[in-house]
Amino acid sequence: MRKIKIIAIALLLANSFWGCEKDDICTEGTPTTPNVVIEFYDALNPTNLKAVTNLKILVPGYADITPSGVSKIEIPLKTNDVVTSFEFIQNGNDADTANNNTDVVTFNYTKEDIFISRACGFKTVFQLNENNPVLTDGDAGFWITDIEVTQPNIQNENETHIKIYF
Amino acid sequence: MVSLATLAQEKANDTVTKARTERYGVRLGLDLHRLTKSFYDDNYKGFEIVGDYRLTKKIYIAGELGNEKKTVEDDQLNFTTKGSYFKVGFDYNTYQNWLDMENMIYAGMRYGVSSFSQELNSYTIYNTNPYFGQTTITSGTKFDGLNASWIEVVGGMKAELFNNLYLGFSVRINYLVSDKKPDNFDNLYIPGFNRTYDGKFGAGFNYTLSYFIPFYKSQK
Repeated sequence: MRKIKIIAIALLLANSFWGCEKDDICTEGTPTTPNVVIEFYDALNPTNLKAVTNLKILVPGYADITPSGVSKIEIPLKTNDVVTSFEFIQNGNDADTANNNTDVVTFNYTKEDIFISRACGFKTVFQLNENNPVLTDGDAGFWITDIEVTQPNIQNENETHIKIYF
Repeated sequence: MVSLATLAQEKANDTVTKARTERYGVRLGLDLHRLTKSFYDDNYKGFEIVGDYRLTKKIYIAGELGNEKKTVEDDQLNFTTKGSYFKVGFDYNTYQNWLDMENMIYAGMRYGVSSFSQELNSYTIYNTNPYFGQTTITSGTKFDGLNASWIEVVGGMKAELFNNLYLGFSVRINYLVSDKKPDNFDNLYIPGFNRTYDGKFGAGFNYTLSYFIPFYKSQK
C-alpha cells in the first residue's frame, strides 16, 4: 500500500511537468503568404533581363523598398485589402531628384486565406483581376513600356508572376 | 526483515486458515484533473466520468464518458473546440494482491469516439514579409458535425484509500483512426483525444477518484 502511494505521488509530480509543451514552429521553407515576383526586361531586347537604375519602390505611409542593381524583385500585397498600389521610381534612389521618373503600378485582386498548419496558421493567396496590374503615370512620362502578366494566380514564389519591360 | 517475515507468515497462515474471497462489482468515479482544470483554467471546461466492471479475476471492462470545451490561444490561431466523447475497452490487472487487498496496476486498451464542433475565433495571416504589418482576422467561422475515433493504450494504477474508495491514475497513448476534418481548417484538439500532432499519435492521462459497489463475492 505504502509503495503504491509513493509511486502514485511520484507519478503525480512527474505529471505536473507535462503541462509545458514546446510550441510548434512554422518551419522555414513552408510556403506561406507569397510575394509578387517581378522581373525586369529590356524592352528593346525582350528576352534579356535588365536591372533598373537606382530603383525605389514607394508606398505612401510605408518604408521605401530599394532593391539595388537587381532585375528580379519580390514585393508584398496587402493581406487586409484587395488593392495595393506601388510607385516604381526610376533613379529614385539617388541624390538627384530631378531625374526621378515615377510610374504607378496598381494591383487589384481577390484574396483567399488558406489553412496551412497549427504553427503556421493561415496564408493569403491572391488572384489578380483581369487587366491587372494597372499602369498609370506619376509624373511627366512613362519609363515602363509594357507589363506582362505571366501568372495572375499568386499562390507561391516559385515562378515569375509579372514581367516589366522598359 | 522481521516485519517482512511476519507478513509472509501472516500470508501463509491466512491461506491455510481462511478461505479468501474476491469481490466483483462496478466502480464509478470522476477524473479529478479535468474537474480541477475547469476551475483554474479559464480556457477549459470539462469533466469525465469513469467506470469499470470486474469481469474475471484479472479483466475489467472499462470506459470513460466526458464532455470538454477548450479554447486554444496559439500565436497564429485562436479557436474553441467543444464536444462529447465515449471510450470503452478493458483493463488487465497485473498486480498480485496480498490478502484481501484490491489494488491494481494495469494495462488496457480503449476505443474512443468523439463528436464535436469547432469555432475559429481569430487568426493571424502568416506573412514572412510583413511590410504592411500583420493582419489578424476575427473570423468566428463555425465547423459543426465533426467527429473522430481512436485507439488508446492505457497504463495505470488504482489504490484503495479507504473502504471501497479508490484513487487512480492512468496514462494513455492515443492513435487516431479516423477524423472528419473541417474545410480549410484542421482538428487541432479533439475532446477525449486531446491535442493532435502532425502524425496520428496523441497522449492523455487522468486522475480518478472512484467508488466500488460490490455485486457478489467469489472464492479466490
